[in-house]
Amino acid sequence: MDFNGLSIDQAPPISGPLRFFITAPLFGIMAGVMLLFSDLASLMSRYSMDAIVIVHLITIGLFGFIMLGALTQMLSVLAGANIPKVKLISSLCHLFLLVGLVFMVFGLQESNSIALEFASLFLGSGFLCLILPMLYAISRVQHFTASVKGMRVSLLFALMIVLMGVYLLYGYSQNNITELHAIVANIHSVWAVFGFAGVLIIGVAFQVLPMFYVAPRFKQFCKKRVVLLISTGLFIWMFLSLYAEEYALYAKLWIVTFFWAFATTVWIKFNKRKRPISDVTVWYWRAASIFLTLGSFLWIFDEFFKHQYIVMVGILIGGGFILSIMLGMLYKIVPFLVWFHLNAEGYMTIPTMNEMINKNLSRAQFVLFIAALIGFVFAFYMPMVLFPSAVAFIVSMMLLEYNVLAPVWIYIQTKKRKPDFDMSSFSMTN
Amino acid sequence: MSNIKEYLTNDHRRCDDVFAKMEDKANNKLSDAKELTLEFIADMERHFQREERIVFPEFETKTGMINGPTEMMRQEHSQMRNLMQQLLGAIENDDKDKFFGLSETLMILLQQHNMKEEQMLYTMAQQHLSAEAQRIVEMMDSLVVE
Repeated sequence: MDFNGLSIDQAPPISGPLRFFITAPLFGIMAGVMLLFSDLASLMSRYSMDAIVIVHLITIGLFGFIMLGALTQMLSVLAGANIPKVKLISSLCHLFLLVGLVFMVFGLQESNSIALEFASLFLGSGFLCLILPMLYAISRVQHFTASVKGMRVSLLFALMIVLMGVYLLYGYSQNNITELHAIVANIHSVWAVFGFAGVLIIGVAFQVLPMFYVAPRFKQFCKKRVVLLISTGLFIWMFLSLYAEEYALYAKLWIVTFFWAFATTVWIKFNKRKRPISDVTVWYWRAASIFLTLGSFLWIFDEFFKHQYIVMVGILIGGGFILSIMLGMLYKIVPFLVWFHLNAEGYMTIPTMNEMINKNLSRAQFVLFIAALIGFVFAFYMPMVLFPSAVAFIVSMMLLEYNVLAPVWIYIQTKKRKPDFDMSSFSMTN
Repeated sequence: MSNIKEYLTNDHRRCDDVFAKMEDKANNKLSDAKELTLEFIADMERHFQREERIVFPEFETKTGMINGPTEMMRQEHSQMRNLMQQLLGAIENDDKDKFFGLSETLMILLQQHNMKEEQMLYTMAQQHLSAEAQRIVEMMDSLVVE
């Protein structure tokens, strides 16, 4: 068994995950600005260029970056899995994804085939250069918990959706949009939401909720079977949508049942948690449960209305469920990383986690974010709501960036000033 | 059959419960939480000493890993001891914000520490020390905290 994950010398340096967390809200701001200048009719179609660009600024730029940053950190803690050359790999991945995403936005907006070729190259290699080493690291884990299994399955879905994404982007670059393109795009999006993000969140929740909130543990059935049942459902759904579309609804019902059950379970577990605290992270988990429930039912409902609600489903599940969990997690992980690294380096007079981010600003960020999501849903019926909702979203992302930078600023300042009483000369790390 | 991993993992959960009770009490009135805070600190200290004085030395002798994972765990114990003392200071000063700032930091530090132990160290200890598990568990049971 490899013990390197237990050593701070080997643990990912703080710059690894922070690099992703600092960049992520910037893409949120960019997506918000593009929403301001988009025409509502084109946003209503999932295959319009505007919709594809905005969706990917959020899925890759915002929650993809947060998830990858968190995984570089969590794999060693939750799984004891060490990504080889983590510093180099996470920097490369970050750079490639950044460049790739910019090329993608430019390429799709301007229909520039060279930019799109570069985009598929950089995004593909950016994702693969982190996903493959993570899968390798997990393959060396000897004791699989439910969370580690969830992470592995999620990363396998990630691998497949990246390959599909590269195929789709390359298709746009060659202006070769076949019937297969729409089929792959559909599988790509459903697997990304439920297979990659959904399974990852469920897997991590098995361990995080009982431990961090002292909530009741998940039942053995959930921990042992749910990820497998969801994955099976996703494969069955794929085969049915390819070969017997009229039955695909049954597979959707199968998948939705488990996600709705998860949403309900999370809500109940928070009701039964022993810790009395109720901070913005708890609010985000609560919001995620509600949005996931609504989104799941709407996904089924949408089947009977020629998919006219699919974009709304995306807002509810992508924004309301996945993004809510990601943002809630950021409020814990960033201040903790700063505190942990400073403390381990011997700095004793440092603020506690709660003192690093202004509570009122984190609450304001939450309220604006949720208001923006609700506004986006209502914009389907009241187009004039789109503009203020986009503004609320942009401001919430600016606040998020500020809230992420505040602890980072404390880290930089503490290292620079070296407070009077510290033990950094006895530090374990440099 | 005695199991080191199970024994110490249950110990973690017991401490978590006392921690939650302590926070609950502090949430109502901070000064009332002193007794539970002292109980929590005592429970944690007993758990740390079970590891530092019994399991870690046995593990180190058996595997020869002296400056490895056990040393890292000792370092995190010292970070936690420091935070726990500050909790008492916050109660003395009747500073609720400070208390919950410290308790939140302690909770995250504690749980990521527990994950590492439960996922790796205890599993490894149980594998290497399975023949001596009965004796080690008995020693942990009868430990007198220093």
